[in-house]
Amino acid sequence: MVASFPASGDTQLLAPDAEARVFLRLRTTLVWQTVRWMCQHARLRLSLVTLLSAVFWASLYGIFYEAFTFVDSLHADVISLLFNAFFASLMVMLVFSNGILTYGSMYTSTQAKLLLTLPARSESIFGHMFRESLWFSSWGFVLLGSPMLVAYGVIREASWTYYVLLLPFMISFVVIPATVGSICCVAMAAWLPRMRMYAFVILLAACGSTAIWLGWSLIRSVGTEGLTATWLEKTISNLALTEHKLLPSWWLSSGLIEAARKGSDAANAWASLLDSLKFLALLVSNGLLVQVVGLWMARVAYRLGYSEVTGEVSVRRNRPLSRFDDFLMNIGSRRRRPVRLLLVKDLRVFRRDIAQWSQVAIFFGLLALYFLNLSHFNYNMTYRSLIGFLNLAVVGLILSTFTTRFVFPMISLEGRRFWILGLLPVHRDQIVWSKFLFSFIGGVVPCSLLLLMSDLMLDISMSLIVIHEICCLILCMGLSGIAVGLGAMMPDLQETSPAKIASGFGGTLSLVVSSLFIIFTVTVVALPIHVFTTLAAMAPPGLSPFRWAAGPWGMATAVGVVVAVGLLVTFIPLVLGLRAFRQLEA
Amino acid sequence: MIEFDHVSRSYGSKRAVDDLSLAVLRGELFALLGPNGAGKTTTIKMLVGLLRASHGAIRVCGHDMSRSPREAHLHLGYVPDEPCLYDKLTGREFLWFIADMFGMPRHVTQRRIADEIEHFELFEFVDDLTERYSLGMKQRLVFAAALLHDPSVLVLDEPMVGLDPRSVRIVKDLLHEKTRQGMTIFMSTHTLAMAEEMADRIGVMVRGHLRFLGTVGELREQMAIENTSLEQLYLQLTAVLPESEGSSPAHERG
Repeated sequence: MVASFPASGDTQLLAPDAEARVFLRLRTTLVWQTVRWMCQHARLRLSLVTLLSAVFWASLYGIFYEAFTFVDSLHADVISLLFNAFFASLMVMLVFSNGILTYGSMYTSTQAKLLLTLPARSESIFGHMFRESLWFSSWGFVLLGSPMLVAYGVIREASWTYYVLLLPFMISFVVIPATVGSICCVAMAAWLPRMRMYAFVILLAACGSTAIWLGWSLIRSVGTEGLTATWLEKTISNLALTEHKLLPSWWLSSGLIEAARKGSDAANAWASLLDSLKFLALLVSNGLLVQVVGLWMARVAYRLGYSEVTGEVSVRRNRPLSRFDDFLMNIGSRRRRPVRLLLVKDLRVFRRDIAQWSQVAIFFGLLALYFLNLSHFNYNMTYRSLIGFLNLAVVGLILSTFTTRFVFPMISLEGRRFWILGLLPVHRDQIVWSKFLFSFIGGVVPCSLLLLMSDLMLDISMSLIVIHEICCLILCMGLSGIAVGLGAMMPDLQETSPAKIASGFGGTLSLVVSSLFIIFTVTVVALPIHVFTTLAAMAPPGLSPFRWAAGPWGMATAVGVVVAVGLLVTFIPLVLGLRAFRQLEA
Repeated sequence: MIEFDHVSRSYGSKRAVDDLSLAVLRGELFALLGPNGAGKTTTIKMLVGLLRASHGAIRVCGHDMSRSPREAHLHLGYVPDEPCLYDKLTGREFLWFIADMFGMPRHVTQRRIADEIEHFELFEFVDDLTERYSLGMKQRLVFAAALLHDPSVLVLDEPMVGLDPRSVRIVKDLLHEKTRQGMTIFMSTHTLAMAEEMADRIGVMVRGHLRFLGTVGELREQMAIENTSLEQLYLQLTAVLPESEGSSPAHERG
């Protein structure tokens, strides 16, 4: 038996409530300092985010209002069906997203390392980290869900109590899947540390397959049967899984439907409100129950899991990929070898950063899935062409988020390693060119293939396919030029976090310029086909400028303008970036 | 004050720390030396509760680190190799948070924070967000935070990294004063001169084994080499065959 020493008279172990108050104070200070910092240093970004969120919210509200008006006229059960499917899929997404966020904050962050060396309870640390990850994982749900639910309330002429209950319903619902995700994460880190990636992938694949199967069966049945009563019955039976009475998503949708119900008299209205409150109580009590389980799990397994994750052994790199790198380094002339070496270095960094390639894979994968299903719908020729241009814009917008998030910070991230590059026999221009080539080649291959897939599924004419591919090429060049050029003009060599670099002024500017460029490109090539064709049809017989613009010469002019502007957008930022980067003192 | 009782830790098939038994007494400054991959950082991480020992027990002031970590942490101050701070807190807010976590009364916290700001000369930047600090400024703040609650045991992992010569002097003087007052200090370092200058005892780890434990004088005696520098003694002691092929721990640095 070893004697223990008393602690210094000025220190003491805190009671759970006192510990919770300390963490609350910490969170409040962090939020206050972040808001203050944003108001002082990132006003443009804050204003843009607020404005875009408001526009997004209003657009969603409009879409949902129209959709509910249409769906409400179809069948009384359709809205309940939609709510259940929507909230059930959201529930699954929240489980995964909160699990991933919990892993990042509780096992790999420096804050976790600090907190675990303080006399804090494991469950208090879990509670603190959980609130943080809950906020990050659920703000999207509030942004997406609130316009939908407000539109539903307006359509149903719900009383004020419905709107008051919205937020409590949403929060109490979100807590359940988010806690389940965190519990799974803590359990996997502690008891399946070596297999956690496999377990995660298997779970994700199972949920993804179920979602794809459900989506596929719905799309196929619309394509073959149309929106008939038989289709509706079949759909209801297919989605019966999401209407299980033990699912929190069912409690949420039932509670909201009851809250929005307008009774024929006061007694009926009261009965509906009481039913709604019962569902809210069900959500709150279950939320509290899973929180208790989560805290218990953290007490039992958090420190053990942290030790297991921290003490992991590294994995050897994949040899076939290394051979691919060797091949890439050795093809071509010796004069261009430094650029190829830098390209291979960036390729390796990309491959080893799960955050980068997984986001690219998920977004492009989802797009591919959507494009594959385009052939199941029946459109007329005008719609096919319009959807083709919209798909071009979507591909461009997704690529612009990647170039802003991953390519723009690349020059800044060389900051800490600048001395290595400075000592190598590599001209600074070659560094900038290698980033441009990396972004351009990395973007043009998947984007042009995706567009080709979209156009083939839409059964679009060959001439339009060629135009789309030219636009895609120009977009990839322009977006890469903007991201690399602005990144070289406004590098932040002290910052190590790519997310922070991308969210600064330069990153925001890059995103805004990229979005304007995409809108310009798509509008200019879409105009001759859609607007001018319509105007030409309405114009009196004889010579009309619209007729010329809608013809092959008009189209050729539009493509010419896009190519010329694309070249300017590519090379002006690049030239300015090269000049700034040559003069940079690291 | 610090006790390692037959402690081992493995990473996969590799044993990073092998059957370590060691006791560090009150008021003693102990320096752990060793080449890269010797097991120093693993030992420190186990001592502060970030890693669990595969076998054996670690006690801080009599409290078992794996069974009652909170009680053990109450006696412990830790300066990691890389400063762990909240970017969006000022230095002063960070010190208040640490004091609150140790349950210190407000009037004591105010006095101690003022003292630490003076000791580590933080007054010029203590009210700025820590994201703007240089590595040296961060390290000074972490030192202040580790000493704020006047711990019985201070654990330092490569403590002088990033500090300028003046700050190094301040830290060395402070560590001497603290050990005179009875604080136990456990430090890992690559700097032999610092170990020679400051440590009461040193331990030399090689491939997870504690190859030597004693004073620098005893090391010289044991190696039976006259007029030889500590550096030469150290190099002889740590001379090992090249690492055999196999996986290496992802986070093992020291």
